[in-house]
Amino acid sequence: MKGGRWTTQTGSSTYLSEAIAIWLRDLRIEFRTRYAVNAILMFAVTTLVAVSFSIGSFRIEASEKPFLYAVLLWIILVFSALSGLSRSFVKEEEAGTMDALRLSARPQAVFLGKLFFNLTLLGALELIIVPSFILLMKYEIEYPGFFAAMIISGGFGLGAGTTIVAAMIAQASARGALFSALSFPLLLPLMITAIKGCERAAIGMGTAGWAEVKIAVAYVMIMMVVSLFLFPLVWEE
Amino acid sequence: MYSLSVTNLTKYYSSTLLFKDLSFRLNPGEVLAIIGWNGSGKSTLLRIIAGLVRPSCGRVEMFCKNAPIPKESRRQFIGMAAPALSLYEELTALENMEFFCRVRGIAYDRRNCLNIMERIGLSEQAEKMCRNYSSGMKQRLKLVQAILHNPPLLLLDEPGCNLDSKGMKIVEDIISDQRQFGMAVIASNERREVDYADRVINLSK
Amino acid sequence: MILKAMLSIWMAVIIVAAFLYTEAAVGFPGETSRILFFHVPQAWVATLSFLVSMIASATYLAKRNLKADYLAQSAAELGFLFCVLATVTGSIFAKATWGSFWNWDPRETSIVILLMIYGAYFALRSAVPDPERKRVFAAVYSILAFTTVPFLIFVVPRITASLHPENTMNPTQPGMDPKTLKVFLGSLLAYTGLFVWMLRLKMRILRLEGLKEPRFGDFI
Repeated sequence: MKGGRWTTQTGSSTYLSEAIAIWLRDLRIEFRTRYAVNAILMFAVTTLVAVSFSIGSFRIEASEKPFLYAVLLWIILVFSALSGLSRSFVKEEEAGTMDALRLSARPQAVFLGKLFFNLTLLGALELIIVPSFILLMKYEIEYPGFFAAMIISGGFGLGAGTTIVAAMIAQASARGALFSALSFPLLLPLMITAIKGCERAAIGMGTAGWAEVKIAVAYVMIMMVVSLFLFPLVWEE
Repeated sequence: MYSLSVTNLTKYYSSTLLFKDLSFRLNPGEVLAIIGWNGSGKSTLLRIIAGLVRPSCGRVEMFCKNAPIPKESRRQFIGMAAPALSLYEELTALENMEFFCRVRGIAYDRRNCLNIMERIGLSEQAEKMCRNYSSGMKQRLKLVQAILHNPPLLLLDEPGCNLDSKGMKIVEDIISDQRQFGMAVIASNERREVDYADRVINLSK
Repeated sequence: MILKAMLSIWMAVIIVAAFLYTEAAVGFPGETSRILFFHVPQAWVATLSFLVSMIASATYLAKRNLKADYLAQSAAELGFLFCVLATVTGSIFAKATWGSFWNWDPRETSIVILLMIYGAYFALRSAVPDPERKRVFAAVYSILAFTTVPFLIFVVPRITASLHPENTMNPTQPGMDPKTLKVFLGSLLAYTGLFVWMLRLKMRILRLEGLKEPRFGDFI
């Protein structure tokens, strides 16, 4: 065994570089274990199949379609997200790695890293579920651009509203049920907005000004800022 | 250069008193051992110094040339290895090193890390998932993870647990390195580990 | 003691006045309009306690003062109670005037969301074993929930039109009968007094319970 100094480097990091390191590491672990993806996608696919099978594309009157389809789509998206978005924090707690993370990264960076990871999961979820839903249910959309913007901003909202809640419930008992119970009231305004927005996009009426997308974007910004402020309190003892 | 000062530290764990009015100062080049019966608060004391647990009362401060280091940035100056501090089981040893380098903003050098792996006797397992490691192998990896960013203050909770005599040589190496360039606090009841220290604090008195 | 006696006399006077002194408003079936004197103050107290709880939570996070946490918890519990009362009285009125107990009127929607937030708040409190963390988490959640309220105010009225009587029963409108206005304001005062009294009682209980558990949080 050789002697000598072990290391001589000292580092300097930014919030963003720390957050990206955490995000990439979470992605790498997720690719290997498919811990969260399995939970979310299986939930989403089974619900989608159940909806499509029991309702089909002809049961609902054409005039009712825009509204009811928006409701069904967002119920699938929100509850699939709630079934798996807490995984990354819960896993960290269960494996006992939270303290190592606390010692090596700034709390805001941890929040951002986990937010990026959750947004990646949500992106994958929407990429699979939304096109399948449109195809299976023969969802006709007058303004696809507005519709896509609504789906994307709504997805960001789901991530921004739930990441700090996930950090809290990871440190509590009865985690699974608690996550939905705590997140749902926070997500309701977003969900109502997104449903309304998708309905308008389908009808092709009243999309001027993109009001719903703006509300969703405002929701994302405010929840992110508030979470960044509050996260250190939740994360550190 | 760096120093640590602990003033009037008191910690209650629910209603039991762990320690009261504990004060000490650690200067560069010093190695301190903390001993005490099981449940006397050795690990908790280390966790308080690391900033993972709030003390019930009292202060922990670190100084760089007498200038206090703010609590938020203290994590850059502390390295810690403890039984309760796990590494990522789904990553290989190298990937664990890579992550901790990246998150601390150290340039990740694969060759350098492989050298370290060789030095701790894990070069053949460097690309295997940590899940398959024995507890002694995990402990070796935890030890080098703690000194990856060259911290002035090293906190070691039972550094020799699960280690064989070759493993103990690593601990010895790390501590003598630390004595030269920084400070260390060891919490242990093992005679061979306590012997590395210059001073001993007994929490069970 | 004297304040308590005064409050109970005042409350009794309001109840009597609500039924005997005022006349039932025109345009409502039978005597149903008298719900105004009970339902609206209950909803007011429910909102007030939500606000108090949020401010106390923020204070707790800033100062780590146990009393602020007791206040936040007590206000939340009373808010929940008054939410339930307002929901029940409102439902009875809804059945009598609009023919069904529940209509998803915007105010009904908001009160359901408020009930869900309170439910989540209590669930969180009971699920965190460490007392210090429990208080921090509860306070953080309370602030998060409060952050979403402006969105609700903006978003919810867009779903359906309100069924709630606005003009005839809104005290700020000139259409309100002066007698009704007097009793209504008296009732608001009585309910607020009741809220303050119950709040102090609940805080005292929490403080006494807290004496049993170690109170080293005080040092922090």
